[in-house]
Amino acid sequence: MPTPFEPAAAHPRAGMPPRPEVSGPPRPPLVRARGRGWTPGVCAAIARHLGLSPKAVRWSFVILTAFGGAGVVAYAFLWALTPEGDVVDDGTGQVAVASDRRQWGSLILIGAALVLVGGVLVLPILGGSLIGSVLLPLFTIAVGAIVAWSNLDEAQRSRWLESGTGPNRFGWMRVALGVGLTVTGILVIVTRGQSFSAVWDALLAAIAVLVGALIIAAPWAMRLWGDLRREQVAAARATERADIAAHLHDSVLQTLALIQRQSGDAAAVTRLARAQERELRTWLYDGPQGSQSTLAAAVTEVAHEVEDLHGQVVDLVVTGDRPYEPHGAALTQALREALLNAVRHGRAPVTAYVEIGPSGVEAFVRDRGTGFDLDDVPADRLGVRQSILGRMERHGGSARVRRRDDGTEVELRLPPLQGDQP
Amino acid sequence: MTTTRAPSGTSPRPAVRVVLVDDHRMFRAGVRAELTEAMAAAGGAAACEFVGEAPDVDTAIAVIRAERPDVVLLDVHLPGGSGNGGADVIRGSYGVETDAGAPVRFLALSVSDAAEDVIAVIRAGARGYVTKTIGARDLITAIRRVADGDAVFSPRLAGFVLDAFGAAAGEIAEVDEELDRLSAREREVMRLIARGYQYKEVAKELFISVKTVETHVSSVLRKLQLSSRHELTAWAMGRRLL
Repeated sequence: MPTPFEPAAAHPRAGMPPRPEVSGPPRPPLVRARGRGWTPGVCAAIARHLGLSPKAVRWSFVILTAFGGAGVVAYAFLWALTPEGDVVDDGTGQVAVASDRRQWGSLILIGAALVLVGGVLVLPILGGSLIGSVLLPLFTIAVGAIVAWSNLDEAQRSRWLESGTGPNRFGWMRVALGVGLTVTGILVIVTRGQSFSAVWDALLAAIAVLVGALIIAAPWAMRLWGDLRREQVAAARATERADIAAHLHDSVLQTLALIQRQSGDAAAVTRLARAQERELRTWLYDGPQGSQSTLAAAVTEVAHEVEDLHGQVVDLVVTGDRPYEPHGAALTQALREALLNAVRHGRAPVTAYVEIGPSGVEAFVRDRGTGFDLDDVPADRLGVRQSILGRMERHGGSARVRRRDDGTEVELRLPPLQGDQP
Repeated sequence: MTTTRAPSGTSPRPAVRVVLVDDHRMFRAGVRAELTEAMAAAGGAAACEFVGEAPDVDTAIAVIRAERPDVVLLDVHLPGGSGNGGADVIRGSYGVETDAGAPVRFLALSVSDAAEDVIAVIRAGARGYVTKTIGARDLITAIRRVADGDAVFSPRLAGFVLDAFGAAAGEIAEVDEELDRLSAREREVMRLIARGYQYKEVAKELFISVKTVETHVSSVLRKLQLSSRHELTAWAMGRRLL
């Protein structure tokens, strides 16, 4: 959706890296980046959402502020209403870390300091009374509240309040600073023009009342708190149970229905049962799967694929792991070919062992068939020669086919990655 | 449930007396039927004889104490007990001996791939670990082996061991007695078992006797039971197990 505000996206200027901006209809959601910046990130969020330059948005807020403080009000409003979330950078696909927010935050701090200094300088001129007794404390309260709540906001308030894993030391410092500023401001307002002893008495009385209220309210508050926690736990458990039920329905029950329908076809039943077993096993023991970019994951996937294709069990054992790269990919493909050969020509059980270690990768595929000799394989059969031997050699590895008394064993080897051993 | 011993017949050794502990009746019946069928097909005297079964921890301990079997086929997950069940049965049966004076031996039989389960029963004292997908003939071999006091490692358990002891990463013990690492020979044996080799194939491959292979495997089992290697814990933690 091109708008006049995003010329850079439409025509990236030569020599300049194109800015990661909105390049078409799904707009990025209006979320504030979860990060460690100093500001809540409202401007950046709006800029991301609308596809504008963050600088432009910030300046418009500053300009708006000149009109009776509308900018500040709008900022606070948006801060309160915009949810936090992980922001994915269009350009890199990475979760963006708001580095520019940090700079912006320091700018705000400098600005606040300047205002403070200015206020102090102007104070005597305006005759002290008004600014010194009302405006300055109010300003202090505001700054304190912002400093304290900005931290809570970052830590997702509720989570910070209830969990034992509190904010870091820096976070505590910010809370303390904020609370200190606020309390000081309130005290200054309340005690203006009174003697110290009177203030002290008032303070003591106030503290006494507060403590009394606390003692009275404590059991009730604790019970309320406990109930809330219990409810939360129960809700979480119910959700979990619903998830499990949904998963079992989607997978196991469906498979069982399929099995009943195909009960005459033994091969199909075995295949279905095996695939379902594997899926359930993965779900039970491996937890949620993230991005599968390791060699072990790739190898496992290939073995499962072969199982599904031929309905024969492949007993795969993998030890160690390393990132998935072209050499590993070649080994994975060669392994796939070897497994296919084993399930096609060999007899069960087909076993595979992949050892990924600092001295390289070794993979073994074993079947109990009659076996074959490489020399007996006709030259026009490309399966073993090209897919296994040739592929491994092209990637600096080796492959060997061993004929054993009761079957064949294919061995694949890869040298260590360059980073592993110099 | 019969307590009489099967006649030894032509076999030079008596049948292995087996107790089957699993909370699924269907599975118990299946194992019995499959093994009986396999033994009938093999002809001759039965290699093993089922003398009892139990569905939970307390019953299992009672049956084991009453029958004093040679081998207990044990599911790792059972109702009752303070742990997962399997390890509780083993701990509850410490000190029980067969008529011949050998300790009652346990072979874990499970659908679970979880390292936690493997480690728990092995460390409690099981002599081996096989998955429920094992074939009947292999299971009989495994039962006989465990009855003789040897260890039974499935390829998967061998893979676990190689990972847990850092052997896959090249860590090798300087002396065989070191509990926290595998010796070079033990590593070789484990690697071959992980590759799906039977003990006699391992022996042939390494030019050693089957008895020596059994010794190596038992030694690995002992290390697995006694090692305080911190990686065993770290490794289990890494898999969200402890």
